[in-house]
Amino acid sequence: MENTIKNITYDALVIGGGIAGGEAALNLAVTGFKVLLVEKDLSVGGKMIMLSKVFPTLDCSACITTPKISEISRHPNITIFTGTEVGNIRKVSDTEFVAKVTKKPRYVHVADCTSCQLCEQACPVSVSDEYQYGLVGRKAAFIPFSIASPKAAAIDIDNCTLCGACEKVCPTNCIDFTMVPETMNLHVRTVILATGFDLIDPKKMPRYGYGTFKNVLTAMQMERQLAPTRPFNTILRPGDGKMPDKLAYVLCAGSRDATVGNPICSQICCMYSIKQAQLLMGALPMADVTIYYINIRSFGKGFEEFYQQAKGMGVNFVKGKIGRITEKENGNLTLRYEDINTGKLMEADHDMVVLSTGVVPPKGIDGLFEGETLYMDQFNFVKQSDPLANPSKTSIDGVFVAGTATGPMDIPDSILSAGSASSEAISYLIQHV
Amino acid sequence: MKDKKKIGVYICHCGGNISDYVDVEKVREAVSGDEIVFLSKTTMFACSDSNQRDMVEDIKEHNLDGVVVASCSPKLHLTTFRNVSERADLNKYTYVHANIREQASWAHSDNKMGATEKAIHLVKAAIAKAHYAEAQVAPKIKAEKRVAVVGAGVAGMKAALSLADKDCEVLLIEREPFVGGRVAQWDTLSTTTETGKEMTTRLYNELLKRDNITILTNSELIGNKGSVGNIELTVRKSPRYIKGNCHPEDLKRAIEVCPVEVPDEFNFRLSNRKAIYKNYPSEYPQTPVIDMKSCTRCGECEKVCSSIDLSEQAEELTFNVGSVLMATGFDSYTPAYGEFGYATSDNVITLPQFKRMIDTQEGKLIHKGKEVHNIAYIYCVGSRQEEGGNTYCSRNCCTSTIHAAVTAKEKFGKINNFHFNRGLRTYGKQELLYADSLRNGDIYLQSYEDGPPTVTPKGDKTIVKINDILTAGEELEVAADLVVLVTGMVPRADNKVGSLFKLPKGRDQFFNEVHMKLRPVETVIDGVTIAGACQGPKNIAESVNSALSASTKSFSIVSKGELETEPLIAVINDDKCTWCGACEEACPFDAILKTEKDGRTIAQINNSVCKGCGMCTPVCEPDAIDLIACSSAEIMSMIDALA
Repeated sequence: MENTIKNITYDALVIGGGIAGGEAALNLAVTGFKVLLVEKDLSVGGKMIMLSKVFPTLDCSACITTPKISEISRHPNITIFTGTEVGNIRKVSDTEFVAKVTKKPRYVHVADCTSCQLCEQACPVSVSDEYQYGLVGRKAAFIPFSIASPKAAAIDIDNCTLCGACEKVCPTNCIDFTMVPETMNLHVRTVILATGFDLIDPKKMPRYGYGTFKNVLTAMQMERQLAPTRPFNTILRPGDGKMPDKLAYVLCAGSRDATVGNPICSQICCMYSIKQAQLLMGALPMADVTIYYINIRSFGKGFEEFYQQAKGMGVNFVKGKIGRITEKENGNLTLRYEDINTGKLMEADHDMVVLSTGVVPPKGIDGLFEGETLYMDQFNFVKQSDPLANPSKTSIDGVFVAGTATGPMDIPDSILSAGSASSEAISYLIQHV
Repeated sequence: MKDKKKIGVYICHCGGNISDYVDVEKVREAVSGDEIVFLSKTTMFACSDSNQRDMVEDIKEHNLDGVVVASCSPKLHLTTFRNVSERADLNKYTYVHANIREQASWAHSDNKMGATEKAIHLVKAAIAKAHYAEAQVAPKIKAEKRVAVVGAGVAGMKAALSLADKDCEVLLIEREPFVGGRVAQWDTLSTTTETGKEMTTRLYNELLKRDNITILTNSELIGNKGSVGNIELTVRKSPRYIKGNCHPEDLKRAIEVCPVEVPDEFNFRLSNRKAIYKNYPSEYPQTPVIDMKSCTRCGECEKVCSSIDLSEQAEELTFNVGSVLMATGFDSYTPAYGEFGYATSDNVITLPQFKRMIDTQEGKLIHKGKEVHNIAYIYCVGSRQEEGGNTYCSRNCCTSTIHAAVTAKEKFGKINNFHFNRGLRTYGKQELLYADSLRNGDIYLQSYEDGPPTVTPKGDKTIVKINDILTAGEELEVAADLVVLVTGMVPRADNKVGSLFKLPKGRDQFFNEVHMKLRPVETVIDGVTIAGACQGPKNIAESVNSALSASTKSFSIVSKGELETEPLIAVINDDKCTWCGACEEACPFDAILKTEKDGRTIAQINNSVCKGCGMCTPVCEPDAIDLIACSSAEIMSMIDALA
């Protein structure tokens, strides 16, 4: 069986096709190294491609992400595998790692798909759309999202009824249910981990009622409502489709909170909430937006000014962490908190609540290596072996880490961290021939 | 004009950034009638992969001669669409860009009709230019495979190492007599067990191991000629007045006998040093230096140490490099006279001074002869100022202060820390340090920007008073033995190096990057990259990340040994030129020479030096100079379209 496994060789393996992984891959490629970029999702672009606009410049996220992705997908030195998982990696020598990767079947031949969406129309199955964070539905035959890369259909085999409707309408016959998982042995000389982050599951904080109260959303759901590729083309509360006019942001939802095992600060929530508040003031000019906070952490270049700008626009900042949310009959929500300014317990009604959920590490990273130990920190982010002088070094020589894999980070910091990791990887490749 | 051209025009929505204010469909209709416009389209994201593919198909299918995209700033996507043209087998200089986002939708978001009208004019002007846009060949120039790194603090040293490990020659230039920058001034560092001095030593030893790094200390960059790929730098290397191989004991004696005492900047003027000095024993380079600004040339040191030579002269050295990486660091904010009692009260010092005190004292913490127990830290001094001052947050001071407070308590015992803050910003895992200090018993008192604490001397104590918002505005006070002003990071007051390269600054007066997310370590000056805190406040790890990013960028500029440059240069019409010399005078790059041709004296352009700046064209009376790819005819037709 081993003999039938395809062996392929690259200079560098980059795990994770978000903005950090993409940036790192591009730096390596521009310097002349052959890179394999592995992404477990159906599209590259990570979290960033799903965002609306980005702080503090309010550039649209897609305007920054898509051209970068286009450059990555087109670079002759970069090969991208989407829908691909890394099984395990063995270090064979100072100049060789062997990684076993498995390409999951997409059931669509990407090269032939014209993204005409006829399969989508024909598919009778409707499920919740994870790319829109559950705000709307999608089909089992679907294009992940409008600016996905590759922009090609995929079949969600877990929900597919194998009715064959998509196959019948496909004009290029690119749908192929005979596809099977393909496992390959990759021989590479260096590895960059750009495995990103997850957002904490808000159901871990039942006091906020997420999942029970329909008008409590996560910030990522709001991000989708604000994005240029937004599902509703306006802001609606999911409970009844009403346009909200009194919104609340709950900061530190699952960050700086030992009760959910995450005592650290997520570093991005203050700023993305302030950004969303500014965008909401544009989208819903009559709406009131209140941000409930412990401390506002607008620490980066231009961030404090951005915070002051939000205040100037009329965003209401209230110092006090939300203790509990209850739902009223009309779907409105009552937020209970200690108003720090007065020291009094207060209650405030809002018709839509956004939980600014925090950053947590993705699962499964610590088990990636066989034979060598990839040290993780106490929260299960990748541990930096020399955090100040060599921030992208890990416990394994030749393995570097980029972006939020080491802990919370905003986009500019992720990009610099990716620059750092790729720089170390380039040096490693030049020094270990 | 030659045969009628066929071009495609694409108007971008920019996902609402443009289309929310500019009626893109109206723009498309208004320009579609131009005689060379063969097709015109609107698109959600012109830069998206799928649209780029469509453009390539359009160009090929309809044999287009050129393309105009009306979208965002050319700073972002000029190259993107030039590349699209190339992929469709067009010469990339046939592409013309129109900026209807920064110049129309964003600038006129209060006036949709006006924004649309302006966008129409801008696109028409671009089409007018497209009438003339011709294929050009980009000239290639040789690039020196050597990078100058300016500043040998932690960012500069890391950048130098990273370049050296990419087999690139490095010139590391440090203005001070010693390397290490700010980090060398710090004792313990947050998140490691290594001290700042140890880290400096470790990095310096690494530098010495590499034979492709030239380290110049006590050296200032004073001249800059040429441009990306071939930059000629002039460095003024000041003498140390001490020749190598001296006996360490003799040198020690020399320092002892020196009669001159001046405030020690390394200790932020908390103490004095001699005119011949070293900041700390393990400092690099190991040879001390004589500070000639304070030296009286009394000759006492020469008497006890044979290696001292007061006759040494400064040298001017020149180097050719392909790229320059700036890592010039930051200054600490100096509070104004009387700001929270600074300079008017004995008990008031700054955070960097406090950190030096922790480093240099043992056993008890003593300030001005008294033992210190109660320390009040006043945060955001020189940061987050409301009016007229620095509006930005200095990012690192919260963590740095808490770290210093924890360290002081550990080292000296009997210390009570009172933090008068404006909301703690221990972002990310730095939150753990904040938690440590809370467990340590540190007290946090907080105010908003409009209610800063007050500082009043009372006997040998200083009373710091605040209306604390954490206790519902109650007035609380602390009788402090020492008040530490948490001063932020400010840009270098001495910006000579920045001015030399004409580096642009941002709102915060730090060096500005081209784009925070797309090109975070590049500047608009080709070939000059920026790293570390000269771009904005950063901690050590963040500085190192930016230094390594910048090193890769500088490396990619020089690594191939040659560079493609813009074909935009001046060209002389030999028949019209009468050589009056006006152009030669106007040219800032010495690119115009006098030459003889067919018995006439005329001007000649040195193509490799000309930058296409256009300074020569308006001074030419007979109108004998034009710019390739930006001709007078093109510009005039654009102006007509805009009118």
